Amino acid sequence: MPIRLSWCLAALLTIPLPLFAAVQDESDVDIQVREIAKTLRCTVCQTENIWESGAPLAQQMRGVIRDRIALGHSTEEIRAYFLSRYGDYILMEPPKHGVNWLIWVSPFLLLLVGGFFLYKEVTHWVRDTPTPPTQPESPLDDQARKRIERELKS
Amino acid sequence: MSKGWQITLILSLLGLFALFYQGLWGDPRHIPTVLIETEAPNFEGPDVETGQTISLEQFKGKVVLLNFWASWCYECKVEHESILQLHQLFKDNPDFVMLGVNYQDELPDAQKYLQEYGSTFSHVRDLKGQLAIDYGVYGVPETFVIDQQGKIRHKWVGPITGEVYTNITQKVIAPLLNAQPTTTTTS
Repeated sequence: MPIRLSWCLAALLTIPLPLFAAVQDESDVDIQVREIAKTLRCTVCQTENIWESGAPLAQQMRGVIRDRIALGHSTEEIRAYFLSRYGDYILMEPPKHGVNWLIWVSPFLLLLVGGFFLYKEVTHWVRDTPTPPTQPESPLDDQARKRIERELKS
Repeated sequence: MSKGWQITLILSLLGLFALFYQGLWGDPRHIPTVLIETEAPNFEGPDVETGQTISLEQFKGKVVLLNFWASWCYECKVEHESILQLHQLFKDNPDFVMLGVNYQDELPDAQKYLQEYGSTFSHVRDLKGQLAIDYGVYGVPETFVIDQQGKIRHKWVGPITGEVYTNITQKVIAPLLNAQPTTTTTS
């Protein structure tokens, strides 16, 4: 009996726990808050958006987003509000204008330039590497040929 | 690849890394504010000590100094003496108003702080953080100077001490009170 019980317990432990988790419904407002909050940077943390941050300011910013959604503001209007208060710094994704283009274009440009130079270097190495001299075939002497013929016949 | 090209490539890489580093880990306190010369957002909230409603609108036509602070903020304690001194300097001018904005704080802590360190002007509570966000506040202390037309003329992130104190009193507030408008830059 105790063995059977332990088998049952072991079987229960193999069932993934999330199966028992209660499914929480996310309202449209929650989804909109999340989508906007993910695009805004937490100004008091490093490299975190205000959705993921636990800082009080980020929490308050999420509250402001929720309030503005309730007032009927669109996603773009809410983002524009934060932009008007904090400037480009508030955006997780730098806007594509002015010097910001450098951030967007330079990785690809560097990849292209790097690839070009790599190609040039490799072709240079291939061209300059001397080919090893080929070894002339060693001819069989009479004694060896006779030995092979003898062994083939036997 | 020639040496010149190699140096150019390395310098470009270093420049790019510096740019990304600054963007990702740079101190937001050094980022220039976008609020200079814009309309100061109106606000209203309860007074920390009396509970009476204070709004920016009631000080229309005056030079207003807004100082964001919190009882848990070390740098606020550092600047407190200078802040009181600044108020002392201009308090007799009828065109000058100084307001403290208590930010992300508990009321008893804020009241205790003011009792302990002293207070000679009013302090409004930012209950939901809306006021701080409206002013694009990153942290405390932060100070704004609003002119008679209701425009933000100056912002400083960090304590108002030493040279900063001299600059804000002599080059920002005094000219505004003497009706000599000048555009000032931020920290």
